[in-house]
Amino acid sequence: MATDRTAKVTWQGSLMDGSGTIEGVGSGALGPLDVTWVSRADTPDGRTSPEELIAAAWASCYSMALSHALAGAGTPPERLETQVTVSFQPGEGIVKGAISVVGTVPGVDHDAFVSEAETAKENCPVSKALTGIPEVTLDATLATA
Amino acid sequence: MPRIVRDADAAWEGNLARGTGTLSAATSGAFSELGFSVAARVGAPGGKSSPEELLAAAHAGCFTMSLANELTSADTPPGRLDVRCRITMDEVDGKGHLIVHSALDVTGRVTGADATAFDEAVEKANAGCPFSILLRKAGAGVDVTTRFEGGD
Repeated sequence: MATDRTAKVTWQGSLMDGSGTIEGVGSGALGPLDVTWVSRADTPDGRTSPEELIAAAWASCYSMALSHALAGAGTPPERLETQVTVSFQPGEGIVKGAISVVGTVPGVDHDAFVSEAETAKENCPVSKALTGIPEVTLDATLATA
Repeated sequence: MPRIVRDADAAWEGNLARGTGTLSAATSGAFSELGFSVAARVGAPGGKSSPEELLAAAHAGCFTMSLANELTSADTPPGRLDVRCRITMDEVDGKGHLIVHSALDVTGRVTGADATAFDEAVEKANAGCPFSILLRKAGAGVDVTTRFEGGD
């Protein structure tokens, strides 16, 4: 079954001098959040940006995919901490994604964890939507229990 | 212009079906500790955001800025743009779950433009928006509908 999710943004004025608002999302979990070009391309000053939202989408999707992969191997995680960094080069586009995950996973050794982490990087739906990004890296670490 | 870097943090506890996560905008701090779960992602959201919803917010934001830029380049900066984005995830035979579609509904009030000029700017914005480009590269459809409301 298909899953639909929505968001609404308004904008007033030119790109450089204008400003926008992520008015809200279908779930009501976010917004209103202000966005501007300056906060996207320079100092965020408390404002989110498309790249930060992509990072958030990716980090949450990746966490679920890795949890699923580990559980499928009979070793569900106690805790996963994922950071995603998205890099944007104006004029060029989104040029890099870096996934960093630290897992607390009973019954798994380093190699098995890294293998599942690689699988999740390939299989998570957000990763698959972002295959056009030229460089995607993964740093997977098993926390010592 | 130097490369722009943005971070987000997610923490997850437990297996997929019954586990839960929290999500924060690490660079800006604009949101923090948002709950997420599989049930909220694929079923009723129950007040929780999801990867697809965050992609919808990202695409709406990215597209809006691209369109503001195109209209400004045409010497008709927008009075107001309203952009709604709907992201669809579906299970595709042999490929698992994929983001299959993004639908953008764009309403504009732009002094000095007409409906034709507005549609041209929208087309250019869709061609140039970095996120639209990535979705098309991944095989997802990006469709835009427009409504021009005149100027002032």
